[in-house]
Amino acid sequence: MKRMTRAALALAATLSLGQALGVTRGGQMIFGRAADSLFLDPVLNDANLDIWILTNLYDTLLQPTADGKRVQPGLASRYTVSKDGKTMKLTLRPGIKFADGSPITSADVKWNLDRARNPDNGIWGYLIESIASVAASGNTVTITLKHPDPVLPSALAAFNTGIMPQKLFDATPGKNDAEKAKAFAEHPIGSGPFVLSEWKRGSYMVLKRNPYYWKMGEDKKALPYLDTLRFEILPDDNTRILKLQAGEIQGAEFIPLSRAPELKTDPKINMMLFPSTQVNSVFMNNRPKLKNGTANPLSDVRVRQALNYAVNRPALIQLVTFGAGKPMTSFMSSSTPLFDKTLKGFPYDPAKAKALLAAAGYANGIDVSIIVTSGSATGQALATTLQQMWSAVGVRLKIEQLDAATNTARYRANDFQMRASGWTDDLADPSEITSYFAVAGTTEAAHTGFSDPTIEKLFVQSQQETNKAKRAAQYKQIQTIFNNASPNIYLYETPYPVALAKFVKGFNQIPLGNNIFEATWLDK
Amino acid sequence: MHSSYVIRRLLQIIPLFLAVMVVVFVLIHFIPGDPVSAILGDRATTENVARANRELGLDKPLIVQFGFFVNQVLHGNLGESINLKVPVLRLMLDRLPVTLFLDVYASVLGVVMAVPLAILAAVRRNTWVDSLIRAVFQVGLSLPGFYVALQLLTLLGARLGWFPIGGYGVTFGDHIYHMFLPALTLGLNLAAILVRTLRNSVIEVLTAEYVDFARAKGLRSRVIMTRHVLRNALIATVTLLGLNVGGLIGGAVITETVFAIPGVGKLMIDAIFGRDYPVIQGLTLVFAVLVSLVFLATDLIHARLDPRAELS
Repeated sequence: MKRMTRAALALAATLSLGQALGVTRGGQMIFGRAADSLFLDPVLNDANLDIWILTNLYDTLLQPTADGKRVQPGLASRYTVSKDGKTMKLTLRPGIKFADGSPITSADVKWNLDRARNPDNGIWGYLIESIASVAASGNTVTITLKHPDPVLPSALAAFNTGIMPQKLFDATPGKNDAEKAKAFAEHPIGSGPFVLSEWKRGSYMVLKRNPYYWKMGEDKKALPYLDTLRFEILPDDNTRILKLQAGEIQGAEFIPLSRAPELKTDPKINMMLFPSTQVNSVFMNNRPKLKNGTANPLSDVRVRQALNYAVNRPALIQLVTFGAGKPMTSFMSSSTPLFDKTLKGFPYDPAKAKALLAAAGYANGIDVSIIVTSGSATGQALATTLQQMWSAVGVRLKIEQLDAATNTARYRANDFQMRASGWTDDLADPSEITSYFAVAGTTEAAHTGFSDPTIEKLFVQSQQETNKAKRAAQYKQIQTIFNNASPNIYLYETPYPVALAKFVKGFNQIPLGNNIFEATWLDK
Repeated sequence: MHSSYVIRRLLQIIPLFLAVMVVVFVLIHFIPGDPVSAILGDRATTENVARANRELGLDKPLIVQFGFFVNQVLHGNLGESINLKVPVLRLMLDRLPVTLFLDVYASVLGVVMAVPLAILAAVRRNTWVDSLIRAVFQVGLSLPGFYVALQLLTLLGARLGWFPIGGYGVTFGDHIYHMFLPALTLGLNLAAILVRTLRNSVIEVLTAEYVDFARAKGLRSRVIMTRHVLRNALIATVTLLGLNVGGLIGGAVITETVFAIPGVGKLMIDAIFGRDYPVIQGLTLVFAVLVSLVFLATDLIHARLDPRAELS
């Protein structure tokens, strides 16, 4: 009797401890995706469809924190930077393994970093272009830099520096890196919390728990909690929602913001709006002449400012995002590190907009055109709302609908006057968006043709500035100058809308977009 | 019986195949936008784009690219998808059976619904039964496919839970079960078209002299209906069915999207939006051949039903 009581007490204690720890292991979660991945290679991929799930397969040396603003240890348990800022030493965790049980060595890391920074491989090499060389010795990786680089820790937490097994990759059939990568990506063995077990393109993808993953859960056992993670490709928004409501799937991404309020009232569903770095802007062609040779009123800063003042952001947010958005006050999102909180942006002021247009010599208004992607309900709603708002100040907006490929091609050829565009950061750092939006660089400041010598100088300095306060001041100045020059029209930030069954716990889509399933568990 | 005719028709597919190759190649290269811009997206630099174009051979003159494409096809290779980085043939072998299954299933459901109802409407012509049947299918024909699909999904899938919401399943039985609603969506549309034609044909045949003669002979009405009326009335319907089934191949995009069916329709649309030239070219060629085969089968059935039809 006594023994039984003791056993019962022990059992009760274990159970309550389990509850206190609050996690249940095992099971399968089915997550409805709007579209399938294209190419599961960390370096050679091009799309968010790949990027946002890659870290489940390939772990990185450092990882972004849950708020997407800093980095935390990953495969490397610590790192140090030399005083001159030109050497970084990373210490690998002891005993880390790939999903096939083979050890992750510093030689693997060197090979991956060299592959990722090779300019012949994909479009992401520029994120780690400061690296001059990588050396591997024991459990230490030493990175020698061309110049001090405050961005490097964030870059070492980004998808393109995900660690693959060199030996397995080399043993994959193929004449060159690209061919091997294609073959390897079919059955990848990685270092992330999950490993790909089956992939039927356009239909489903099954990820199994990587039994060798290093990170510990709340119960002091290795993550992930789930045994199986299954992605089902459900391109239709309504079907995804219906399947979730019927209990056939336990999560669904890209819920239309128009449906979010209704799903919030569903007792079986957690309608999540994860904070994001997603900014929605209208890029303006700042050049004096358009591609077809006609004069472009948007080359006048007063006109660009007028258009910004003529946008009623709160109304726009209600109409286009059903209240889920947040007005932008800088070109970067408020979740991006070094975002200047003191900026006021452009309040709605039609009188000021009219005055600015008149001062620029356009008292009778102007004719402008915008390209939007056809078939996009949001793009359409946005353009027509802007059309109405601007007509109040005498701006006549022509909406040109183009299919996505034509839209991109016209944009890339600088053949547009305005274009509605979205952006999300990949790095927990402001340099990525700044290099694209504000710096002439290789894409002429997001094809706007904007260029400011002070921003150019400040950006170069900030890329080597290791003093945090100084760098923050540089970014404050960049944002102020950019606001005044107003090469874009700021609209709103939007969250990531994900609907989950109530019993799904521990899922996170971080502001950078990564879907983090390592600590997801099913409470049932 | 008609083997020489069949061989001749099959041989005719060859020039068709060549013509389709040229037309598709020229057309897709005329559309603005290119695969590299589409896949690399907004952020790619000019160097990124130039390198990718070089790797894919898209920097070569069009005539060289066309020669390369023809050479590949003649060697039984449809190339590799630019976006998905897998051979087009493999994608097709994965997806085509799904679409064909859906098309056959939809056609069977369509015919099963249309034939008895059309006969009933014809026999009871100009009564409320006839009006009801015609009205219901007229409405069915007017409703857009995605709307019908969503209503079926919501009612029979989500509310009543009789059918799964989308997907394809694993076993044959699964496929039948999973694909019932999408097949019904397409089948309803097909039935609506068939009912109208078949009803009119049946009415026409019912008033023919040979039917009167058959009645006078004292044949039972069931025999008259199956042997004389239906057989003759079906001739026009089979042609119509053939045309519509031809259209279903690759045309069931909306149904495939709503029901999350991994078929070729969705693959084709994604390929067009992504300017995935090899996939567009490969799929179009296969569609052309399949549609030709469906039309050939239609003609053969037609000839079988109507011995007067000359196969020449």
